Amino acid sequence: MAAVHQNFSKMISAQLRNKANEFLNSRKNANNLADILQMFEAETENYTPLLLTIEVIFTELLKRGDLVQHIEPLKPIDRSPEAEYTRWLNECYESALSRVVECIRRGRTSSRLQALVTACKLMQAEGKYPLEHTSGYFFPSVRLKNIFCVLLDSEISMLAPIARFQEFTEYRDVQQHGLKVLSTLACHKSPSQIYMQNYLELFDKLLATEIPSEVRKTKDKIGEEDFKVLCANDGKPSFPYNTSVCRRYANRCWGFSCQWPLCESPRSHRRALVLLVERLMPILNKPHLATDMLCDSLDAGGPISMLALQGMLELVRHHNIDYPDMYDRLYAMFEPEMFATRYKKRLIHLADIFLSSTHLPESLVAGFAKRLSRLALVASPEDAMGLLQLVGNLLLRHTALKRMICCEDTPAVMSNDPYVMEESSASRSRALGSSLWEVRALTRHWQPTLAAVARQVTDPDRRAPIDIDHAGEEMFDAELKKRFKTIEVNFIRPQSMMLPSGERLGQYWEITA
Amino acid sequence: MAKVKNKRNAGLADKVHQKRNADANKKKLNPFEVHINREKLKVLGKKSKHDRGLPGVSRAKAIQKRKETLGTEMKIMHKTNAFIDRRIGERNSQLSAEERMIARFAAERSRQHSKKSIYNLADDEILTHRGQTLEQIEKFDDPRSSDDEDDGKKFGGLDDDFVSEGHFGGGVLSKSESKDGAKSHKDLIEQLIADSKKRKAEKQKEKEQTLDLTEKLDSEWKDLQPVVFKQHKEESIIDKLLNKEDKGLDYDKTMRELRFEKRGTPSDALKSKEKLEEEEKKKIEELEKQRQERMLSEEEKAPKRTQTIKHRSADDLDDNFDLDDNKEFMLAYDKDGKPLVPENVLKDFSVPNARKKFDDGISDTSDEEDENDENNDEDDENDEDDENDEDDENDEDDEDDENDEVDDNEIQHDEAKKGQTLKRLASQESSDSESNQDSKKQKLSDEIMPKKISQVDKRYKDDTESSNEHENNSTNKNNISESNECDSSSDDEDIVRDEKLSIAENESGKLSDDDENDDEDDENDDEDDEEDDDDESTQNNKNRKLDLDDLKETDESEEENEENNQKMGSFFDLKSTVGDNLKELLSGKTPSQQSSAIQKLIKSYDPSLSQNNKELLSTLFAHLLQYIHDLFTNLSEESDVIKSFLIFDKIVPYLYDLVHLNKVSTKKFLVELLKEKHDNFKRSPKKVPDLNTLIFFKLVSILYPTSDFRHPVTTPSLIFMTEILSLSRFRDSVSISRGLFIVSLILEYTCLSKRYVPSALNFLRGLIYLSANTSILNPVQVVPPFRLNRDIKILKLEHDCTKMAVDNKMAARDLIATEIDYSFRIRSLSTAVMMLKEFFDNYNDLEAQEAIFEHHIQILGRVDLELYPKKVSKKVSEIVQYMKQCLEVKTYTHMSREKVRPKALRLYEPDIQPVFTGSKSSKMSKEGAERARLKGKYKKEMKGALREIRRDKAYIASVKIRQKIQSDNIRKEKVKQIYKDASIQQGELNKLKRMK
Repeated sequence: MAAVHQNFSKMISAQLRNKANEFLNSRKNANNLADILQMFEAETENYTPLLLTIEVIFTELLKRGDLVQHIEPLKPIDRSPEAEYTRWLNECYESALSRVVECIRRGRTSSRLQALVTACKLMQAEGKYPLEHTSGYFFPSVRLKNIFCVLLDSEISMLAPIARFQEFTEYRDVQQHGLKVLSTLACHKSPSQIYMQNYLELFDKLLATEIPSEVRKTKDKIGEEDFKVLCANDGKPSFPYNTSVCRRYANRCWGFSCQWPLCESPRSHRRALVLLVERLMPILNKPHLATDMLCDSLDAGGPISMLALQGMLELVRHHNIDYPDMYDRLYAMFEPEMFATRYKKRLIHLADIFLSSTHLPESLVAGFAKRLSRLALVASPEDAMGLLQLVGNLLLRHTALKRMICCEDTPAVMSNDPYVMEESSASRSRALGSSLWEVRALTRHWQPTLAAVARQVTDPDRRAPIDIDHAGEEMFDAELKKRFKTIEVNFIRPQSMMLPSGERLGQYWEITA
Repeated sequence: MAKVKNKRNAGLADKVHQKRNADANKKKLNPFEVHINREKLKVLGKKSKHDRGLPGVSRAKAIQKRKETLGTEMKIMHKTNAFIDRRIGERNSQLSAEERMIARFAAERSRQHSKKSIYNLADDEILTHRGQTLEQIEKFDDPRSSDDEDDGKKFGGLDDDFVSEGHFGGGVLSKSESKDGAKSHKDLIEQLIADSKKRKAEKQKEKEQTLDLTEKLDSEWKDLQPVVFKQHKEESIIDKLLNKEDKGLDYDKTMRELRFEKRGTPSDALKSKEKLEEEEKKKIEELEKQRQERMLSEEEKAPKRTQTIKHRSADDLDDNFDLDDNKEFMLAYDKDGKPLVPENVLKDFSVPNARKKFDDGISDTSDEEDENDENNDEDDENDEDDENDEDDENDEDDEDDENDEVDDNEIQHDEAKKGQTLKRLASQESSDSESNQDSKKQKLSDEIMPKKISQVDKRYKDDTESSNEHENNSTNKNNISESNECDSSSDDEDIVRDEKLSIAENESGKLSDDDENDDEDDENDDEDDEEDDDDESTQNNKNRKLDLDDLKETDESEEENEENNQKMGSFFDLKSTVGDNLKELLSGKTPSQQSSAIQKLIKSYDPSLSQNNKELLSTLFAHLLQYIHDLFTNLSEESDVIKSFLIFDKIVPYLYDLVHLNKVSTKKFLVELLKEKHDNFKRSPKKVPDLNTLIFFKLVSILYPTSDFRHPVTTPSLIFMTEILSLSRFRDSVSISRGLFIVSLILEYTCLSKRYVPSALNFLRGLIYLSANTSILNPVQVVPPFRLNRDIKILKLEHDCTKMAVDNKMAARDLIATEIDYSFRIRSLSTAVMMLKEFFDNYNDLEAQEAIFEHHIQILGRVDLELYPKKVSKKVSEIVQYMKQCLEVKTYTHMSREKVRPKALRLYEPDIQPVFTGSKSSKMSKEGAERARLKGKYKKEMKGALREIRRDKAYIASVKIRQKIQSDNIRKEKVKQIYKDASIQQGELNKLKRMK
């Protein structure tokens, strides 16, 4: 079946290509265009060949300038067949565009993506060869607005097309005009959840390319290096990119979305926080206005508070905002549940930044070190590695913590661990009186690399920070790549599947009866 | 007469030669020529070359040298012709006169061998040695003529009278006076001649007579000679025979003696059973030690080594100087004359090279073997693969060694038991002889033999037969039965051959038809085979209890084996279908039959038989892995699961053998398999992998040491297992039971190394959580993948089960169970708690034990133990109590640096400079110093050269002045002569004038 289907689609695409070529070659075959447009009526999952044909035809037409109408204001409408044809072509173009945009909503994912790309490509072509003569830089904002209208759908999640759209937001003109268009579209009262998600996603993508800040900008340099413009043409004036305009529109967009109930569903809440923390913080005019939202999010717990913490950190570091119990909150986040979240790496990184100050009280840092190593006891090897690295850094930065790995006074025998795990405040957990026995336990970890790292952490003479080579590959594959001089094998021949010594499976299982 | 002269000359030549040598050696030191240099500083023990000089001698030497070089040059200056001495070796002062002569002679000889005379074979040149011809020297026969007698007589044998008269007689006159002048001088001479002739003739005659006599004596002796010697020999043999009869020597002893005589070299002895066991034990201990070492990481290993020093002297400077602390012991004897020292010490001190000359097959060779052991251990690491090859060859060696002592019947019996054909035996022997050539291999075989034999013993539990073989006195009864079996086995072979032929005839491969025919033929043989089968059946007793249906099949196993034999012959012929072949071979059989089929297969493709058998066997390993994989896929019935495990149980030992045959490629196969499985798992990490994955973890733990710090196979599989435990979701019975399966394997992996495995503990925690009674109000901590308040409590008991009778082990059916019944819940909780206890014990020495286990104990407190059967609840509460107590008595000491002993000050360090230049004060850079040194040297040389030139000049000047003086003198002389002549002439002229 699939083969038949494939053949069929191949045939169609060949047919379409022929028709398009005929149409482009001579005007006699003008009706071909009508036929092609007709095909949008057909119900199918895959519009890709059709979309490609449309793209080819209209790009070529725009390039030739066939679509340009010469309208002189005081004259009556030209009735010559030539003008009629151009007008007809224009109508076709408009209808084709609307159909293409419509296609973003329908069909298979690949077809939807192709529709988006086609729309953007046509937009690009129109930008390069505008329908009306303009003296300045021309960008077809209307087309962009149409595309955005579709992307910001209230019912269908547009994650895939929006992700695809990111390749166009790299262009500065798309970014600038996109933000402008988005700000006009944003004034939407009580949007649906999906709409919000689409909106946040699109907004995020538009900000994916960093807007250069005023201070460090040296205009000409950036212009030279990575100034990509979508609708650039050789003969046209260059695009006037204005960062302050971008900022203004971005602020306006955020301002609209702030009024929505973002925090109702955890998903959009998380998305908004990521957007805020990663993209918006540096370009917001008044970042401290986000404090309320961040504070609320901090109390939410779980990954949301983890993200909010990052925003908070930004505020504290750059905007003179004081937040009480910052460290206790951070301390409370280190729970076994954190391993299930996606943001555990981020949390460890944040904690590293938070605890990088050497002016922190020893008791507090000791509490953190102890808690982190407690966590490392239950963590998976990769997470434990990150935690141990952090603990190792703490031990390096705060020399007073050395007593936790090598006590200089005569070691007294204690009946229990002085550290209080249940204490919510790190500085009151009495961790300084304890030792990092957990790390010593980890030197017995089954994972050889982790055991080695733990051994490094417990080494009191260590001077350099612990270096963990994250090759990015999985532990399993990394282990397989290791070279061994010899392959050791067991030396006692087993008589059955029961081991001669140390059989455990048979101890707990009755599998052969 | 010439001979006499030569003789004398020879002695002289020697003397002269010696004397000249002695002269050359003697050094004359004229005390007036010695000049003693005064020493300014006297250094003790310093040898000085320049303390005394011989100024005269050295000057003379210098002049001589100049004469030879400069002088000759001067002589030939301005001369076109030169006189060259071409005598060989004349100008080479290093050659002695002798060597010079040899060289000249050699040249002479080579000249004679010119092209012209090359075919002149009869070249009669006479070789001489110090004037004597070689012929004379080389005449070794004792000279018949006694020339020495002539030496005694003076004057050529003339008698004294004659001489005194003839020579010193005072002339003719006196004689004529005294003897009346009767005889004239002429008469006298004639008489003399006649006398001497007569004497010569007499002498000649006498000589001939003695010669005849000696020859006669010689010939007579020759006749007698054999008689004399032979008689002596004959007598001894007779004596021996007589002695034998007298003593009545038994037949056995003679036979044994004869057999020993036949043996060229004594082969290595069979070891006694105890010795074998002991060696085996020692070897295993050694390997165990190595394994223990591998368990530690590199960092851990380092400090351990330093602690080996037992005794520290008070004067120890900590410079790692190690005294030989071998205890000196005094050799003392008790009154029985036995040494008082323990034997092992004595052995150590015995003379190392003294070995017994004759190995009678019983004597102790353990020392040698110990050495071999050590060598082998060192070698082991270097060439693993090689060893494997030898391993197998040795295996055969062993069998052959056994056979040497046993009758032929027994050999066959032995082989028959192992299901081997004669053909194979022959090839074994050939390979054996090959391996014998290599002494190294021989050594290895000694070492490995015990292991193999013991294995054989274990494998065939009939101890009696095997022990009989060793002791070499088989009872009649056994012999009969064995001979029967032997017959049957040879019959079997015939049949096998027949089958092969028939197969060759119809290649279409209608195997089943053939087999049926053969089965009918074999019926007679089967009766004989039954005894053989009994062995197997005892082994299989256990299995038979389990599935009685298979019993019939076991009886027919022998037939099937035959059928298999032929299949095996072409097993690897078509490589693409090896897997199918294997499946065909193993399908529809009981586990034990499968195992024996695989054993045969491995044996028939022994690496020693063909070069590429090793590779073939490693592919067999891969296909066996595939077979196991297929075995454990899609199991839905409990019986299937059990059967799969049983088959696995039987196959495993052969996998072990295969791994030992080719470690590298088998490891590769297994790792690739693991990787494939891991990739599959990663695609859907929330699902616990099927049994066809889990079984390989067990296989890894059987084949490879799991305790190593890092191992190419076990570490990845451990990673895999922990990933399953930490990523999968445990929401149904299958996943939970498989999780428990993995945890028990993790326990197996870590039981020796006691490593810390958090994911297993987290899993157990989650499992207990699933059976515990928690509410939102008083939450407990759980670790992902388990989540608080989200997982359904699938293991919680809903109502009272105290009356239920439950096993305390997990069962095979749990691995495929679809629903969670109460028995399953109870068993999984109790198993989890038991495992927890084992983990707890493993980590007893960790201070963090409380931090690790407190949550487990807390959650266990929430389990409604009242609902569980009494046995289970009692056990669980006991374990909880035990853990709590352990944690209570646990003490904590702060982590502190290991106490480092302060190092003693190093004393008497010599101040060693890299290069001693002699001038310590110079503070120049290295290059500067070097430059200065070179400059000084140049200056010195320059000075010397100038001096030489000056002296040369002086010499030339002296030579010139001497020449000048000489020529002046000659001229003066000539002038004088001229004046003289002129004055004479003038005189004569004057005389003539005056005469006029």
